[in-house]
Amino acid sequence: MSKLKPEDLERIAGPSAGGITKITVHMGTCGIAAGAEKIKDLLLAHISEKEPADVVLSTSGCAGLCSREPMMTVERRGEAPVRYVDLTGDKIRKIFDTHVLGGNVVEECVLPEVAEIGFFGKQQPIVLKNRGLIDPGNIDEYIARNGYRGMAKALTTMKPEDIIGEIKDSGLRGRGGAGFPTGKKWELCRKTHSDIRYIICNGDEGDPGAYMDRSIIESDPHAVVEGMVIGAKAIGASHGYVYLRSEYPLALRQLEQATEDAREYGLLGDDILGTGFNFDISIHRGAGAFVCGEETSLIASLEGRPPEPKIRPPFPVESGVWGKPTAINNVETWASVPQIILNGAAWYSDIGTETSKGTKVFSVVGNVKNTGLVEVPMGITLREIVFDIGGGIQNDKAFKAVQTGGPSGGCIPESLLDLPIDYEKLSEVGSIMGSGGMIVMDENTCMVDVARYFLDFLRGESCGKCSSCREGTEVMYEILTAICEGRGKPEDIDLLIEIAGAVKAASLCGLGGTAPNPVLSTIRYFRDEYEAHISAGRCPAGVCKSLINYRIDEEKCKACMLCVTTCSVSAIRGEAKQPQRIDPEVCMKCGACSEVCKFDAVIVE
Amino acid sequence: MNDTKTVGSVLVIGGGIGGMQSALDLADSGFKVYLLDSAPAIGGTMASLDKTFPTNDCAMCVMSPKLVECGRHLNIEIITWADVESVRGEPGHFSVKLVHHPRYIDVAKCTGCGLCVANCPVRNIPHFDRDAGLPELKEEDSKRITGILGRRKGQRGPLVSVLQDINDEYHYLPEDLLRHVAHHLEIPLSEVFSLATFYNAFSLTPRGKYTIQVCLGTACHVKGAPRILDALERELGIRAGQTTGDRLFSLEAVRCLGCCGLAPVVTVGGDVFGEVTQAGIPAILAEYRKAVEVENVEIKA
Ligand SMILES: Cc1cc2nc3c(=O)[nH]c(=O)nc-3n(C[C@H](O)[C@H](O)[C@H](O)COP(=O)(O)O)c2cc1C
Ligand code: FES
Repeated sequence: MSKLKPEDLERIAGPSAGGITKITVHMGTCGIAAGAEKIKDLLLAHISEKEPADVVLSTSGCAGLCSREPMMTVERRGEAPVRYVDLTGDKIRKIFDTHVLGGNVVEECVLPEVAEIGFFGKQQPIVLKNRGLIDPGNIDEYIARNGYRGMAKALTTMKPEDIIGEIKDSGLRGRGGAGFPTGKKWELCRKTHSDIRYIICNGDEGDPGAYMDRSIIESDPHAVVEGMVIGAKAIGASHGYVYLRSEYPLALRQLEQATEDAREYGLLGDDILGTGFNFDISIHRGAGAFVCGEETSLIASLEGRPPEPKIRPPFPVESGVWGKPTAINNVETWASVPQIILNGAAWYSDIGTETSKGTKVFSVVGNVKNTGLVEVPMGITLREIVFDIGGGIQNDKAFKAVQTGGPSGGCIPESLLDLPIDYEKLSEVGSIMGSGGMIVMDENTCMVDVARYFLDFLRGESCGKCSSCREGTEVMYEILTAICEGRGKPEDIDLLIEIAGAVKAASLCGLGGTAPNPVLSTIRYFRDEYEAHISAGRCPAGVCKSLINYRIDEEKCKACMLCVTTCSVSAIRGEAKQPQRIDPEVCMKCGACSEVCKFDAVIVE
Repeated sequence: MNDTKTVGSVLVIGGGIGGMQSALDLADSGFKVYLLDSAPAIGGTMASLDKTFPTNDCAMCVMSPKLVECGRHLNIEIITWADVESVRGEPGHFSVKLVHHPRYIDVAKCTGCGLCVANCPVRNIPHFDRDAGLPELKEEDSKRITGILGRRKGQRGPLVSVLQDINDEYHYLPEDLLRHVAHHLEIPLSEVFSLATFYNAFSLTPRGKYTIQVCLGTACHVKGAPRILDALERELGIRAGQTTGDRLFSLEAVRCLGCCGLAPVVTVGGDVFGEVTQAGIPAILAEYRKAVEVENVEIKA
C-alpha cells in the first residue's frame, strides 16, 4: 500500500464494484455473545455449498439493538437494506434461499416496523453513523463513507486556531462525564508554553452499565483515530495515547488494526497525507480499576505509577503526561470531532438545547424491552427514551426509576420522566449525565439495594488516598447493609445524609465527590422505601433476602414439578399432582423456583 | 556539686509511638525530655500501618495528635537523625554521646513543603539488599521473564505493561517473578506490589484453566446477577475470588463486561454468555468440563 494524498480519498470513496448482494453479520462483543459466530459460519457454509455469484459476506460491529441479537443485514443491489433479528440456524437457511438467492424478503424474521420505527426512528446517528454498516477492519469502507475527509479538510485548509474555533462554536462538550467544553480545553492546552504536547483518548469506560465507548471502537475505530489526528493538529501534539479498558479485548484488536492500516495509508505517522504533519498513536491497556478513568490517575497509570488522583491545579492541560501539557478527552468526544469539522459548527450546534449541543449516545439497559445503544439529540425527554425507543418496561411491569451517570449519578423517578435531558437539567435533579449509562428499573427493583450496590462498588474502587472517601463509603455501605438486612434504625437516614455531605466536601477527586449521589438521590425520591425497610421490616420490591419469603400460590400451581427438580436444597415438597409447598426453614431464598415457574405461581412477600 | 542529687532530665531513645507516649508522660510530670530517633523524623513504624489491633482504629488518627504534641511541648527537645554512641555514668547522672548525621538541610528554614522531594532526580533507590535474597528461578521462567523485560526495554514507565505481560502468560503474578522484576527495573518491591494488588486484573494466587467472570454491573445487578453468582458459588463449591480444587475454574466477580444489553452476563475462559439463568448454569459448565475430559483422553491415547 502506498501513502495517500488528499485527492486519493475521493478515488477510494468512488463507486465501488457495485451490483452485488451484501450480507453483513453484526459481530460486536454483544453479537458474538448471542451467537453471531455460528451465524457467520452457517452463512459461509451456505455460500460455499451453493456458490452464488456476487454475494459478499461481511462483518461489522454492533447494530445497536442488543436485545434482538444475533442480527444481520441483507442489502441487494438497488434495494433498501433489510434487518433480520433473533437469528437461528433454520432462519438463516430460509433467508439465504428465499432472500439472498431468490430476492424475496422473509417477512417473519425481519425486525417489525413498529420496533424499527420506535427504536431507530427517534435516533439521530452522528457518532454512530457507521455502526453496523461498515467492516471495522476495512479502512476502505470507512473512507467510502466520507472517512478521513474531515481530517483532510483540517490538515489542508485550516489553521490550528480555526479548528479550535470551529469546535468551540459547535458547542461540543466532553462526553466523559463532566461536560467541559472541548474547544476551550484544546485552547488552554495549546496556549500552555511547551516543546511537546500530548493528547489522550480516555477509553477506560468504568461506568458499569455503559458501553458506548466499546461499541464505537469496535464498530468504527477509524472515527476515533481521525478525531485524534484533527485534535492533535489543533493542539500541536505529536503523540497520542489511547487508554483502553482491560475488559475489552475485541476493541483492542480493532483499534490496533485500525492504527496499523492508517499508518500504511499515510493517515497516521510521519508526514500525514503529505502535509508535513507528524502524529502517532500508541495504545495502552488498562488493568481494571475504576478510578483510572479519572484523568489525573489515568495519567499516573499511563506513566506506570500507582493510579491515585492528584490535586488539581495544575490541570492536565498545564501538566499532564510526563509533566507536559495534555488534552484528555473521551472516546465519544473524539469520534464526534470529524463530523463537526466536515459539516461545520453551525450544523452541529443546531442540534440540542441551549447549553448542550449535538447528540449523545446512551446505553438503554435494564428492565426495558429494547435494550441497546441509542444516539439521540440533547433535549429529548427521558420518557421518549424509555417508552418510545426502549419500548417500555419488560413484561409490562410498572416503571420505577431510571439511573443515569453510573456510580456518580442518581436515580430519577417517574415524576421527572418528562425532563429534557441535558447536562444542567440532570444535575438539577441530583443525577449527572456521566458517560451515558441509562439503567431502567421496574417495580421489582429495591432502591435501598441499588444504593447499597453502588456503595459496594465505590468502597471497592476508592483508591484509599482520602480517608473521607475510603472510610465514608465503607460506613455508608455498612449502614445500607444493615437497613437491607432489617437491622436499620430510624436515625440511619439522617446519619447517611450527614456522612454523604462530609464525603462530598472532603474528597479530592470526582470519585469521592460524587460517591454520595446514589444514596442522596434514592433518599430524596424513595424515602418511603427506606422507611418501609426500617420501621416495617419490609422490602416493598421483594429483593432484600432477609426481609422476604417465598411462597407458592396454590391456586396457580399446576404441579408441574419443575421447581421441585430445580431447587438445590430440596425445600419444595408436596404430594404428586397436588400444589407444592416451600418449607421456609430449608429455603435459602435463591429464587431459582420463581425463575423457572411458567405459571407465576411463586410469590415473593 | 553533690553527687547524690539527681538531674531532672530524661533521654528517651526511639521516637515511635511508645517513645512519644513516654516522652509526653514524662514531660507532663515536669521532666525535661530529650526524644531521640535514628530516623530523620519521629513517628516510627506506626505511620505505615492502616489499622491497629484490636479496635481497628486508624493508625494515623491515633498518632498524629501525639506527633504534634511532642513537637510543641516546651519540655521536649526532639533530636532526630542521630545515633547513640556511648552511655556513661549511673542512674541519675548519665552522659550520653550522640552522633548527629548530616541533614544537608537547614532545619530552621525548612517548611516541609515537599517540593525538593518531588524534584530530586535520584529516585527508586531499591530498599532491599541488591542481589542477596533474589529467589532462584526455573530456567524456563527465567527465559520468559527475560523475554518480557526485553520487549519492554526502553518503554517509559514499563511496570504495568510488564505485569500485564506476566499475567497474560501465567494467568497470575508469581511472587518470585515480581522480585526479579523489581530488581531489574530498579523499582522498590513495595511499589511493584502496590500496583500488583491495586488492579483488579491481577491475582497473586494461581488461577484455574478457565476464569469465570460474573458481571455484577448495574444492568446485570437489576436483572438478578447476584443470584447467578450465588448459584455459581454453590455449583462450584468455591467463593468468588477462589479456584476449584481441580484447578479447572476460577470464579471472579467483575463490574460490567460491556454487554449490558444481554444482562445478566457471564464469561467462561473469554467466551461470553448472555441472559444467563440459574437453571442454565450446569449446562454451561458441563461443556468446559467435557472439553477438558476430551483433552485428557487424547493425551492418554
Ligand atoms: C471517578 C471517575 C471516573 C471517571 N471515569 C471516566 C471514564 O471511564 N471514561 C471517561 O471518558 N471519563 C471518565 N472520567 C472523566 C475524566 O476524568 C475526564 O473528565 C474525561 O475523560 C475528560 O474527557 P471529556 O472532556 O471528553 O469528557 C471519570 C472521572 C472520575 C472522577
Ligand atoms: S452491567 Fe453487566 S455487562 Fe454491563
